Amino acid sequence: MTTVCHLEPDQNAQISRLGGPPGLMRRLVALGLRPGAAIRLVRRAPLGGAFQIALGDSFIALRAQEAGQIHLELS
Amino acid sequence: MAALATARAERLLVTVGNPNVGKTTLINAVSGSRFEVGNWPGTTVDRLSAHCKLSGRSVEIVDLPGSYSLAATTPEEKIARDELLALKPDLVVDVVDAGNLERNLYLTLELAEMGLPVVVALNLVDEARAKGLTIDADLLARELGLAVVPLVASRGEGIGELCEQALRDNPAACPLVAYQPCIEAAVEELGALLEGAPERRWLALAALSGETVRLPLPVAERSESLRQKLEAEGVDPFLEIAGQRYRTAHELSQRVLDRQQAPPQLTEKIDRWLLHPWLGLPLFLAGMLLVFRFTFLFSDPWIEFVGAVQGVLAGWVAGSALPPVVQSFLADGLIGGVGTVMAFAPVLFFLYLAMSFAESSGFLSRAAFIADRVMHWAGLPGRGFIPLMLGFGCNVPAIYATRTMEDFNDRLRVALAIPFTACSARLAVFVLFAAVFFPAQATAVVFGLYLLGLAAGLTTAAILGKLAPTGHSSGAMELPAYRLPTLGLTLRQAWMRTFAFIKGAGGSITITVLVIWLLLNVGGGKPENSLYAQLSQLLVPVFTPLGVTDWRLVGALIPGFIAKEVVIGTLGVSYLGSEPVAALGLMDGLQQLGQSFLTACWAFLNAIPAMFGLPQLAPPAPEAPDGLAGALGTSIAPAGAMAYLVFLLLYTPCVATVVAIRQEFGRRWASFSVFYQLLVAYVLGLLAYLVWPS
Repeated sequence: MTTVCHLEPDQNAQISRLGGPPGLMRRLVALGLRPGAAIRLVRRAPLGGAFQIALGDSFIALRAQEAGQIHLELS
Repeated sequence: MAALATARAERLLVTVGNPNVGKTTLINAVSGSRFEVGNWPGTTVDRLSAHCKLSGRSVEIVDLPGSYSLAATTPEEKIARDELLALKPDLVVDVVDAGNLERNLYLTLELAEMGLPVVVALNLVDEARAKGLTIDADLLARELGLAVVPLVASRGEGIGELCEQALRDNPAACPLVAYQPCIEAAVEELGALLEGAPERRWLALAALSGETVRLPLPVAERSESLRQKLEAEGVDPFLEIAGQRYRTAHELSQRVLDRQQAPPQLTEKIDRWLLHPWLGLPLFLAGMLLVFRFTFLFSDPWIEFVGAVQGVLAGWVAGSALPPVVQSFLADGLIGGVGTVMAFAPVLFFLYLAMSFAESSGFLSRAAFIADRVMHWAGLPGRGFIPLMLGFGCNVPAIYATRTMEDFNDRLRVALAIPFTACSARLAVFVLFAAVFFPAQATAVVFGLYLLGLAAGLTTAAILGKLAPTGHSSGAMELPAYRLPTLGLTLRQAWMRTFAFIKGAGGSITITVLVIWLLLNVGGGKPENSLYAQLSQLLVPVFTPLGVTDWRLVGALIPGFIAKEVVIGTLGVSYLGSEPVAALGLMDGLQQLGQSFLTACWAFLNAIPAMFGLPQLAPPAPEAPDGLAGALGTSIAPAGAMAYLVFLLLYTPCVATVVAIRQEFGRRWASFSVFYQLLVAYVLGLLAYLVWPS
């Protein structure tokens, strides 16, 4: 089990579980980040901190603490 | 807005859709630019609506804020959901991004569960095609049981067909998602309790998901117990319901989509540069500088022009046969007050232009993505960085720019931090004082004051964040595709917002200027005898611990409330006496007006090359009356001057900023800002006096 924080750029994975407070979870699901969704890490922000991931046909930015709540299965 | 109250249209349409799917462009195309911008009641979320005639029938279109779902995870989504339930529209136009079908269909499926008549506006089909995506719109229409209109709203393609659809009496949509039996059983039970409500299926699902929806008490209690029962059985109703909607959306999009391999999109190519590990930061800073320079270079000629108009009007007043007191009231009070308001209009207009370009083009999200790290330690989201930086130009538009942030608490904290940043009006005072008292270290002193202001602002935001922790200030956001916004639309929106400022804030600002005019002129005769001088004398003991003992220096802080640069003018008058305004004849005045208009136009044109030139690093020469520097040098010691500058940097925001805070956050926070900043200014001013080597 790993999280988005541990992905390398261009690595693919599937979301297995969401953690964190309910408000965050709802927001993530609204953006399309739900268990079962396939994602890819595009890059980290130039100053570090945030993550850019590709999900389907869209790109989503996440903060480190949010990325740490998205648990993954590597594919 | 008036039209809303008087005429109820024959047909009410609402547009809903994910953020950045071109809803505004679509309304613009349908209504032919006859839309209005306002706010949703009780919020500062923009409300866009339009009245138009389609085939002779009057139609009102209301644009609901961009939403990914109706689960109300943001204030915008909450408004969209509540209005959908309250407005009972004749038709919902669901604007769908053809290039991102699966996620957009999630919202469509939710709308179908609400039992509303829906037509799908399949927008941005050109972008989808470039991505290698072809959608079988007829098949999608059959699968959904809804009318589907493919569109490129920005070019007007498909608008005609959408208008035809908009006038048809579409039946209510039918639910399309089948949930697992235990959920369906619970939905059926709750639905039976909500008999008669067309949106009962959606309501039941929302209640089971644990969303806050308004329900009769027995239903709410029953849904809560059903929810707990499901959880006890190991089913998370929220994830199960959302998951099933996504699965249905996925299967649907698989059936109607044909995906071809396409070359990398423009968005990916631009991101490769803008978000590059090393180039990202310099490009971001250059972009910030460009917004800054755009706003101030283009607005400056018009601010000068407003000043020139004021001068000519004052000259005409001076040439009239009115008694001196009336002349002064008209010239300094009334014309001065209205002029103060008007001088903000150009800055606001060009800033709104820059901001709405940055936002709808997709650049703003990238800037927030990069700045996130910097803002993180103050507990603020990356989006807060931009308003904060704009504060260095002028605090007023910076306060309005906080609107690009989602969370109310975050917005408020950034707005309370902004007035601490040294705006360009304060720079003029700093430069004058630095030249008189610290000639050797003038640049260091000015730069130090900038840093002090920024530090005070960020610390304020950080402390407030600790005191009232936000539930979660989410940094999760979409990085939308880059897109060129429609020029006409952007201009019109910028103008409407600027007009809203003049209408909403103009009165309060003018009244403040009039009150201060009264202070300066009651008591008559010499300045030393005026009410203003007496009040200033009273305040001197308060400022003595800061090393400021001259009443004229203390007094200048009072009109400084109008605008910080007024301090210099006031000091000039109280030290050197006022220069009489030269009377102007009608023709001379008109000639001057024409002249200044041409000068403004010329300076405006020159701003275009200047934007891309090297920034001017040396501060502008202070516009102070001759002799003021000498008079100041003898009235206060350097340590006192330092304390005075620190106080001036941090004390109460100018009246326009206070009014902006009141408009956005209410009277309480505006007063808080005034008193809190006075306190901080006093304490830090005192510290500066004690620490500064004398």
